[in-house]
Amino acid sequence: MNPRKIEAMMRKEIYHLIRDFRSLYLAFAIPLLLILLFGYALSLDVDNIETVVVDHDRTDLSRDFIRHLDASPYFHLKAYLSKADAVTEYLDHDRATLALVIPPGWTKAIRSDRESPMQVILDGSDPNFANITRGYVNAFIEQYNRRLLLAYLNRHGLQEIHPPVEGRIRVWFNEDLESRNFIIPGIIAIIIMIAGAMLTSLVIAREYENGTMETLKSLPLSAGEFLMGKAIPYFFIGLIDVLIAVLMGQVLFGVVMKASFWLMILASSLYLFVALTLGLLISNITKSQLVANQGAILLTFLPSLLLSNFVFPVANMPKILQLITRIVPATYYIEILGGIYLRNLDFDQLWLSFAVLTLMFMVLAALNVLMLKRGGL
Amino acid sequence: MKSSPMIPSNDDAISVVALEKRFGDFVAVDRISFTVKRGEIFGFLGSNGSGKSTTIRMLCGIITPTSGSGSVAGHDIFRESEQIKQSIGYMSQKFSLYEDLTPFENIRFYLGIYSVPQEHWRERMEWILDMTQLQNVRRRLTRDLPPGWRQRLALGCALLHRPEILFLDEPTSGVDPITRRHFWEFIAKLAAEGITAFVTTHYMDEATNCRRIVMINEGRIVAQGSPEAIIAEACPEVPGADLNDAFIRLMARRAQ
Repeated sequence: MNPRKIEAMMRKEIYHLIRDFRSLYLAFAIPLLLILLFGYALSLDVDNIETVVVDHDRTDLSRDFIRHLDASPYFHLKAYLSKADAVTEYLDHDRATLALVIPPGWTKAIRSDRESPMQVILDGSDPNFANITRGYVNAFIEQYNRRLLLAYLNRHGLQEIHPPVEGRIRVWFNEDLESRNFIIPGIIAIIIMIAGAMLTSLVIAREYENGTMETLKSLPLSAGEFLMGKAIPYFFIGLIDVLIAVLMGQVLFGVVMKASFWLMILASSLYLFVALTLGLLISNITKSQLVANQGAILLTFLPSLLLSNFVFPVANMPKILQLITRIVPATYYIEILGGIYLRNLDFDQLWLSFAVLTLMFMVLAALNVLMLKRGGL
Repeated sequence: MKSSPMIPSNDDAISVVALEKRFGDFVAVDRISFTVKRGEIFGFLGSNGSGKSTTIRMLCGIITPTSGSGSVAGHDIFRESEQIKQSIGYMSQKFSLYEDLTPFENIRFYLGIYSVPQEHWRERMEWILDMTQLQNVRRRLTRDLPPGWRQRLALGCALLHRPEILFLDEPTSGVDPITRRHFWEFIAKLAAEGITAFVTTHYMDEATNCRRIVMINEGRIVAQGSPEAIIAEACPEVPGADLNDAFIRLMARRAQ
């Protein structure tokens, strides 16, 4: 390993980068775009559910019920309809996802201790969303019932009533159950894959396509020097992307790391090396920029998004897919980032994931060197 | 399998004995032997697929031969490919340069890869830019230069580290006749300084600039010697035959 040769190689790669507007765009604009898109759009939280209400009863109690509903942060009262038919209109056109119909005589039924059903209509086209909504509605009605009950008991002279079972729920690690706290680490993993693998997947293929690979092989340049020269510029681009993502996560979305910053940098560097060597290997094998790019999307970007426990929980996947997720590098990186961001874990608790990433990097690097040596470099 | 070791003469820049390269069952180069003298302009001719490129790749240390023996610039082609790469210059008119880099940046790249000591960089840079007459365009992108200028630059890059042997792989394809003439004059000057030039070309008129020629077809040497000797041997009955006639006849002979 001659540092001067690595430097010459690096300098050349940087020239390629700055002369090719598209790769620079890919390196910086796409990560920015992704973090904004994911951060703002892919909120898995459900609040302000668009709700319409039909009140056939028109009593103080029904109006009180509706007022409480509107005051809750989970529901947003979109319209106060007079006819049940109009509900269909709202649900059909996706202007509301929840409808409550209070039947005539509802208050009277409650007061006379009869059954007092209320119709709740849910838009089930997004089952996940509908499930959460159902939970909210149940909880809200439960709470309202309790309020009525307490008011009744209190009126009859029984004070200081306590409900028999009360769960005091305390959420650990992500106290407000903000999905952003969990999305930001996932986005960092995706961004590193893009900066690392997608960009480097082009760089060896380009030498093959331009014929310069043959000249490089005739030069006194070793496979290791060649790879380092190719990878290092992209390593720094990847690190800059990580810092941008961390900073944006903190400033725009208020997602703050709980554990060490340097541990995060260490994990990111390691994962970045895995991404870089994976991209280089794809480039090395395909020898065509177009194929390499598509291969990189298929082999790196998509698995990181879909099979890494980021968007879709691995626990719900079929066994085979679960096994595949164990060879997706992003799985381990997201595990580490989750530990750092949310659980305040340190290296002692995360070392296994670090070890797996190191192993992946070493295997990929060795495969790269092997392929290049066989090709004559 | 290596055959008996040969004793390379000090005058030989390149010497190979029974050099063979197989890819599976396919014999790309079939036990060829030849020598190239120091300071010689040596032509290596053959049609596409004749085994020409495979031979060059073995001589440049890119691929390892299957059997035989050989040395390039005094280094063994089996074991010392790194030393060979350091002592040769390889130039291909089409593929040696990065077109999105300027001449300055291309030269700088080669200076680094050949690990020319940094205190010589300035002097070598000026030397190459003067020699190739590219001082005024040193900051322009290489892709914007005319082909003849790019060719000079590619040659300059291959000479930066003062190699003993220059491999010129189709150095003049796509270049106008005047530039080609200049090119060959320049090669002759280098040869006079003791630099060996190993040239492949498809232009037979150019090949007459070589002192000695080897013609290869289907992996075997079909003729070697001076251009005149080859013409006389291949077409004895044709008065005024040129190297082109000889080449066509020799290439056809093996195919029958």
